[in-house]
Amino acid sequence: MQTKTARFRVKVEWIWLGVLAGGCALVAATSVVGGQSQASPLTVASMPVPASPPAASAMMPGDRASQSLPWRLNNPAPNLVPESRANPAAVVDKLAARVRSMEQRATLRAYEGAPPVIPHAIADLNIQSCRACHAEGLRAGDKIAKMVSHTYLTNCTQCHVEAAGPLLGNDPLLPNSFHGFRSSGYGGTRAWAGAPPVMPHTTFMRTNCVSCHGEHGYDGWRPDHLSRTNCVQCHVPAAEFDQLAPTFGLPDVADGQSPGGAAPR
Amino acid sequence: MLTVDRRTFVKASAMAAAAAAASGSNRAFALTVLNNQPEGSPLKWQKAPCRFCGTGCHVMVGTENGRVVAIQGDQKAEVNKGLLCVKGYHVGLALYGKDRLTTPMLRKNGKMVPISWEEAIETIASKIKANPKGFALYGSGQWTIGEGFAGNKFMKAGLGSNQIDGNPRLCMSSAVTGFLSTFGVDEPPGVYDDIEACDVAIMWGNNMAEMHPVLFSRLVDRRTRGEKVTIIDMTTRRTRTSDLADHVLYFKPHGDLAIANGIAHLMVKSDKYDKDFVAKHCNFRKLGPKPDEKSPPDMLGVPMTFEEFAAAVEPYTPEKVEELSGVPADKIRMLGELFMRRDIRINSFWCMGMNQHTRGTAINCIVHGIHLMSGHFGKPGDAATSLTGQPSACGTVREVGTLCHLLPGGRLVANAEHRKEAEELWNVPEGRIGAKPGYHTVEMFKRFNTPTDQGGDITTLWVQVTNPGQTLPNLNRNFRAKKDLADKFMIVSDVYPTATTELADLILPSAMWVEKNGMYGNSERRTQQWFKMVSPPGEARDDCWQLIAVSRRLMDLGMEGMKGKDGKWIFHTTDKAGKEVPIWDWAHYYDVNVDERLFEEYRPFSTKKHKNLAPYQEYVKSRGLRWPVVEQPDGSWRETRWRFSEFDDPYVAKGKGFQFYHSVSKDDKALIWFRPHEHPPEMPDNDYPFWLCTGRVLEHWHSGSMTRRIPQLHRAMPKAYVEMNKADATRLGIRNNEVVTVKSRRGEIELPVWIGGRGDPKPGEVFVPFFDEGKLINLVTLDEYDPYSKQPDYKKCAVTIVRKG
Repeated sequence: MQTKTARFRVKVEWIWLGVLAGGCALVAATSVVGGQSQASPLTVASMPVPASPPAASAMMPGDRASQSLPWRLNNPAPNLVPESRANPAAVVDKLAARVRSMEQRATLRAYEGAPPVIPHAIADLNIQSCRACHAEGLRAGDKIAKMVSHTYLTNCTQCHVEAAGPLLGNDPLLPNSFHGFRSSGYGGTRAWAGAPPVMPHTTFMRTNCVSCHGEHGYDGWRPDHLSRTNCVQCHVPAAEFDQLAPTFGLPDVADGQSPGGAAPR
Repeated sequence: MLTVDRRTFVKASAMAAAAAAASGSNRAFALTVLNNQPEGSPLKWQKAPCRFCGTGCHVMVGTENGRVVAIQGDQKAEVNKGLLCVKGYHVGLALYGKDRLTTPMLRKNGKMVPISWEEAIETIASKIKANPKGFALYGSGQWTIGEGFAGNKFMKAGLGSNQIDGNPRLCMSSAVTGFLSTFGVDEPPGVYDDIEACDVAIMWGNNMAEMHPVLFSRLVDRRTRGEKVTIIDMTTRRTRTSDLADHVLYFKPHGDLAIANGIAHLMVKSDKYDKDFVAKHCNFRKLGPKPDEKSPPDMLGVPMTFEEFAAAVEPYTPEKVEELSGVPADKIRMLGELFMRRDIRINSFWCMGMNQHTRGTAINCIVHGIHLMSGHFGKPGDAATSLTGQPSACGTVREVGTLCHLLPGGRLVANAEHRKEAEELWNVPEGRIGAKPGYHTVEMFKRFNTPTDQGGDITTLWVQVTNPGQTLPNLNRNFRAKKDLADKFMIVSDVYPTATTELADLILPSAMWVEKNGMYGNSERRTQQWFKMVSPPGEARDDCWQLIAVSRRLMDLGMEGMKGKDGKWIFHTTDKAGKEVPIWDWAHYYDVNVDERLFEEYRPFSTKKHKNLAPYQEYVKSRGLRWPVVEQPDGSWRETRWRFSEFDDPYVAKGKGFQFYHSVSKDDKALIWFRPHEHPPEMPDNDYPFWLCTGRVLEHWHSGSMTRRIPQLHRAMPKAYVEMNKADATRLGIRNNEVVTVKSRRGEIELPVWIGGRGDPKPGEVFVPFFDEGKLINLVTLDEYDPYSKQPDYKKCAVTIVRKG
């Protein structure tokens, strides 16, 4: 398989900058050289990269589970549905495909969790026409219409608006300095290498996993076991985004305290 | 190029390096990234009501490093149950337009120059002190409850002046006069729960799919769950709401009065109205004679018998109604049949269509009347629901009473007893509050825009949290004339440059939404609370602090009115030890929760008309509570959903079934009004052959000062347009996107034509949205208003469409 060949040469220089309370802060500068003739157009440095360190157990040298992972990746499960049916290129380099998908996804969202804008013209007075393509999802050439990720909500244009409305001319946009929250990465936490990852997002409004992870979903986001349909049997959502988790208790704030953590004034 | 922040990048690189070192292969690099472990959300999530409309959705605001970075629908919120509209999802971006106002600016020699806050406060105080009676405060339904209460106290108890009004005058006041005329007390008896309980939903000129999308989803998504709900869209143009309606009834502008009277006619004729309910709980009412040539008859009217009522609605046969409204007679019969059925629940909805109406009070009264007459009232799903456009039109302006004739808690300045009560609660000397109402909005701006020696007795005007330079009708007359008047001084507190700040003499940069503590009250009597989460940019400060600082300065300048009976400042605030906290000093404003203090001071007013509010801390814990919120024997606080209904309202006496305990007729009964259909003041003619209707679009909220700075919303709906029917365009040879002039007797603007666009007007009608400050349609609109609510009619005037060249 082509994935076995080296795609990147990574040269690493370690720079220890300091120790923070509560744990070590690893700070490294990495220089990356892209592969030569077959190199992905993306360099590592341009990737949105994950925000946090691995669990201590995940990548310990000599850990049997971590050693078994490359074998697992190169020896697909018996129930694998070839990703190539959707996009052969995505199989060739799953990582690069994930990166492309993350970026493509981000262009349509003000922040992770925002309803995506519509990257095409719509029929302004027939909001039901969305269903023609997005009810089941479809692929036409290199265009994908994703299946809706949530239960059917009738008034589609309530949340989704055109990325460029029919009246959009060349008038300058009023600039905005909002920086939206972006998902850290490429997969959820695993208890150990090889454990089913937890979902790195809430499941609210994302109850239909195949919208993003199915055949018409994002390149690089399809599991190697598409034939399994009860996703939540093995994958649970991470609590950080789940509003029903106890972390969302409301503060009781007395006089003189600034509840939001921001300095007053 | 780094596309992520440095911290994130270096962390990940370190991990990649560690893994590469461990396995000794490049393959491991990819694996590490794929299997990376997030450490948990770095975001802090807190609740807040949405900044935009009166639906009152709750959002979860995600903040990181002192900035808002994400929004979620709040799943714990009963109003929206986790769903938002596109504005709500992007509300966090409203804080970060790059042209936020960040420093006070004063006009010196025709140029706006930055000044200090001290100079700004001093300037305002000296202007007010020089002529207190010529000073007016124009507030907003986006004022928080605390801001409105402080403004009201500052004006009425401090300056002893009633020259305070608010922009809900332009959007909600006909609903108020409708509720007052019918029930004797403001605000809807029902709640949003009716949306799930009704069998039939009637839109009275209400494009709910775009204006209150979350509520519309609560309605239409019932169908997805297999429920049946019949939606009847009564409208003058096809909208997205029509798209999901079972029946679309197109009516001529002003035809709504004929339709409602037609329904009453059918109920009387067929003798199938709810006789038991009417006999027990209703009186019939009509307007009395005019007191004099100039004034309208008294709003509360005079009694009439059922026979008189029957005779009055007699002419409104389905055929006559068809002639007046354009709705086919068989459809009028269909509506009548629905109201006569006892086995279904009917919920009427309206917003600006019925309120921005020269007969706004009348149509509000008749719609309440047909619900009362048919007994479609006071049971879950049987309701007449007025929706609001602003987040706290109800909570602040209507309940706190920041209008020229009101006191907090629904009390009147004209009533000596009410004044006395307010003076006691505010601890100011008897006689401090003026007995004469001040000027309502249009009058206030007319006087400010009239030379002082020609009766323009308002000389200094302070505008907070609103944009009258775009939203007043007939702008040339009511806003822009001020420009040439040297002795007029306008102060504007806002967050962005607007059509209003353009003519301001002093601009104050304000904190907005989660940059400050606040409370709002939505359309269903739900009071909501939020905390400050991030700091305002630059020198921007809370509107409430601005009012308080000016009040303090006036006291220091020797204005006795700023002191109470005890000689202390009217905003005197102490800490727990009883020591005064200098809240007029910004450095100490957040030493106490001023919002909580003001709310607790306001609470006793709320019980005066059974609009009881719970203690502040109860709102901290909840996603809003609907008043009256009444304390239970176990110390808990219970909200009320259906007012006047015995099964839910604790103020209804046992065994009564229903009790209208603020009844105009003082007998616990509501009033069923007769109001005739009349033609509007301006109608199309040969010179101006088109009806012009104005309104909103889904993407933009009101004058667009916030939403036009949000890229996702602006790109979807970048500019105003004029919707035209294809037949009219063909007849005039106008092509799609051609720029034409829309012209009335008052003004004109150029707009591109959109045929078959977002909405589709009937032949002879055009529609223009008002969000675009580059294309001010209110240069064209009419400033005629309802004689009771003083609310202008933005929905009907006569225009002509002129092709260029």
